[in-house]
Amino acid sequence: MGISDLKVSNNPEDVLITYALGSCISIAVYDPKAKVGGLLHFMLPDSTLDAGKAKERAAMFADTGIPLLFKSCYAIGAEKKRMIVKVAGGASILDDGNYFRIGQKNITAMRKIFWHNNVLIDAEDTGRNCNRTVRLELANGRFLVKSSEGTVKEL
Amino acid sequence: MIDSILKSIEKLPAFPATVQKVTDLLRDEDYAVADLVNVIRYDQAIAANILKISNSAYFGVRQRIKTIQDAVVYLGQKQLIRAVQMASVTKFYRKGGRGYIAHSQDLWEHSVAVALMSQILSRRIRQREDAALYTAALLHDIGKIVMGEYVYEAFDQIIGRVKQGGCSFLEAEEEVIGINHAQVGGRVAAHWNFPAEIGDAIAYHHRPDLLAKEDKTNTWLVYLSDQTCLMYGIDGGVDGLAYKGLEEVMRFFDLRAVDLEKSFIALHDELEKAKDVIQVQAG
Repeated sequence: MGISDLKVSNNPEDVLITYALGSCISIAVYDPKAKVGGLLHFMLPDSTLDAGKAKERAAMFADTGIPLLFKSCYAIGAEKKRMIVKVAGGASILDDGNYFRIGQKNITAMRKIFWHNNVLIDAEDTGRNCNRTVRLELANGRFLVKSSEGTVKEL
Repeated sequence: MIDSILKSIEKLPAFPATVQKVTDLLRDEDYAVADLVNVIRYDQAIAANILKISNSAYFGVRQRIKTIQDAVVYLGQKQLIRAVQMASVTKFYRKGGRGYIAHSQDLWEHSVAVALMSQILSRRIRQREDAALYTAALLHDIGKIVMGEYVYEAFDQIIGRVKQGGCSFLEAEEEVIGINHAQVGGRVAAHWNFPAEIGDAIAYHHRPDLLAKEDKTNTWLVYLSDQTCLMYGIDGGVDGLAYKGLEEVMRFFDLRAVDLEKSFIALHDELEKAKDVIQVQAG
């Protein structure tokens, strides 16, 4: 799936993959009992930047994409209390001072939304200055993060 | 090692003369369609790609372009130069780059994205597009094609330095190999007899602050376009985002973070339209 995209599934044979997360963030959610999972690849923190775009493409922004990810999973049988939440991305350029901290802003916006909704992050690999590709396996909820530095790890 | 890198630059094929010929022909407002068609047709590499590229939604032509003549007639002056440039440059990205990227298409996709972003930012900042900027942006990473093999061999040393911290990928290239991919790109531009304006923008695309020239606008624009594309996630390379952020770019153009966030949205839209241009590598 691409940037500003969202996919959910309850088919255990599915694997959701999103490539090349720079400052963007990918959130993977998984309900192990219902075997329902979803992946979001959002690009920007705040939908007030472009309300029209947010309507047409909710997955572009943290504040519209995250609620949609959860709701879409509930719709196919997931329950909030069982959901496991893992996140990756939000990278930055080296020592960018105050120049364009979009990775940091994305991380902060995501944390705020989770905080307000009583969602805990179970595992994360965020920040730094590498590019990441992630995959979520619907059969078992395995969430793998591949970094441009050449490492692959399971969160 | 530098000697052998410089030798491989000398061995690079010449930059396609077709691009210059098309540009020259179009300079005359009464250009003859037949002349342009003939020039384009005899360059096989370009002729093979031009139809696919011209039909991309990016160029916004409503009619289906079936022949080279259609392309010349419907695209119009500015768009035709861009389509010809893309059709001719793509072949250099078909090979090489190993060491930086997993698939050669990744570097082409990044280059197209930076070219699109350069025009998005130029419109925002100067209310106009810019042909020289476009060329420099499309070719800013051409040095990686030459450097790829050397980076591949020395990858552990380079990434080791980056991971230790305090060192950008560019600096690590310099320390380990003796020259960085931007400088190599500048040499390639000189080998192709590009104007200094374009060569400088390529050679200093990670460090415009070090360029000692009066007008550095296009160099800063290539820098900013590249950095925003890296942040956006169009990169796919082993170097990731490990490049220096130069805060002064925001003052130089009087930009705020929100301007760059909006440029992300614009890029998202344009990339959607330019899909066929990127796919041209696959075919």
